[in-house]
Amino acid sequence: MEIEFQQVGKKYESGQEALSQVSFHLQQGEMAFLTGHSGAGKSTLMKLIMMIERQSYGKILIDGVDLRTLGAGSIPYHRRRVGVVFQNHQLLFDRSVFHNVALPLMISGAEPEQIAKRVRAALDKVGLLGKEKFNPQALSGGEQQRVGIARAVVNRPQLLLADEPTGNLDPKLSAEIMNLFQEFHRLGTTVMVATHDLALVARMRHRVLTLNKGRIVNDGGFG
Amino acid sequence: MSKLSPRGATRQSMVQSKNKLKDSQPFSLAQHLRHHQSVLMESFARLTLYPLATVMTVLVIAIALSLPGALFVLLKNVESITDRWEQQSVIGLYLFSSLEDTEALALSHQLSSRADVERVDYISKEEGLRYFEQSSGYEDILSALPENPLPIVLQVIPKAVVSLETLPGLETLRADLEALPQVEYAQLDAQWLQRLASILAFGQRFIYGVSALLLVAVFLIVGNTIRTAVESRRDEVMVLKLVGATNAYIRRPFLYMGLWFGVLGGLCASVGIVLFSWWISQPAERLIALYQADFELLGFNLNNILVCIFISAIAGVIGAWISVGKHIRDMELQ
Repeated sequence: MEIEFQQVGKKYESGQEALSQVSFHLQQGEMAFLTGHSGAGKSTLMKLIMMIERQSYGKILIDGVDLRTLGAGSIPYHRRRVGVVFQNHQLLFDRSVFHNVALPLMISGAEPEQIAKRVRAALDKVGLLGKEKFNPQALSGGEQQRVGIARAVVNRPQLLLADEPTGNLDPKLSAEIMNLFQEFHRLGTTVMVATHDLALVARMRHRVLTLNKGRIVNDGGFG
Repeated sequence: MSKLSPRGATRQSMVQSKNKLKDSQPFSLAQHLRHHQSVLMESFARLTLYPLATVMTVLVIAIALSLPGALFVLLKNVESITDRWEQQSVIGLYLFSSLEDTEALALSHQLSSRADVERVDYISKEEGLRYFEQSSGYEDILSALPENPLPIVLQVIPKAVVSLETLPGLETLRADLEALPQVEYAQLDAQWLQRLASILAFGQRFIYGVSALLLVAVFLIVGNTIRTAVESRRDEVMVLKLVGATNAYIRRPFLYMGLWFGVLGGLCASVGIVLFSWWISQPAERLIALYQADFELLGFNLNNILVCIFISAIAGVIGAWISVGKHIRDMELQ
């Protein structure tokens, strides 16, 4: 999936400007990090791509389609093409790991056999195949994070968005998670990861977009 | 639809890609059926997770429905009793006193040949006087009068007997007869039935009114329970929105929950009404036996039960719909 921001801004009713004049172009299959201090606008930028919020001005093109032309009825279908790992929308503890990962497939009416196959494949990719029947609460923080990633990729999205996916994890686990994203990138998925873990970003050698007070202050090299 | 969409050459291609978006994963009929079936089962299973709350909601619905249901049984029985209560009808025609006997007799013959008239009894002024003397005890006063003040009366016996069904037809006949030039006044002897008919009409309206009010109560009960259910599943609603579930998909389990509440409430109400009818049937039958009437009490039959459950189910779904639609729209991702 291809993402293009043209002079995008987001102002809240309070007058606070979360993003201003943001422009960048992410090619199909590209992987990029989004860094910046907390409150710099990383989450807002991702919410605009997911159409959780709408920009105040400027143009966002996803595969050439202006998001402003999509009505409320198209939003669910837009979201199905994007896999997300968001901090505040985590797993549901009233069902098994399997059913958590199966959610994106169930909403689009996939066949039960197809669901089982794809969920196992996704859990296999994140190394949790043996734990499909567990309740997510019984898993460690790192494992829960990986279940979230499995849920994000189970529908084979064209774009993978992750907001602080290594937030509470130790460096070794963080590196593992990042390697996972890198694998999906190698398989052709466009990947965008918001993180403030600069050391990790530096090691990964991908494009880095740095936000400061809602503006892109650096776009390019790693580190 | 966003008002911001630019008008121009690019619009065509955008519409196309939007359509492509929507068509990417269409639900087939089989998928729909399977999905609805599983949602139906899951929503029932969810009700059993909170048995106390479920039972209370169902009972409140049942109580709200059993009042109009019981009134309905009562009305049905009263109507049925009066339907069987047939008696010979009589329309009394009071002729103008200026009319000669021969003219009155001619009218009597003419009326008795009508298709809707069984026979006509002729009561002359003298016969009328005799009846009056026997029944009223005012002989002295009458004999003091210079002449007989009573008119000739034709007692028309229509073919139809009086019942609630035939009453409107008989009333038309009475009006027709009164319109005759020889007739001063026509009286249909069915006053008690006319009163009963208006009481029953009143009763029917009353029951419809009460039923409508209590149906609104069912909407509110179900709506409130569903609102709580949506609130307690807020996390799930959010995750579903995030992964691209449509509002219809998110709404569905709650609508089925409303359906279950309605069906179970209607079922409980039916059981209650059946038990109630059975409970009052004994004294009622004794009462009927005292009047030596040949009459069988009507209970709440299978048809009534099915209608009760159906109405309750529809009310449950509507209540859920009103509540859930608003709440899910209001819950926006943050």
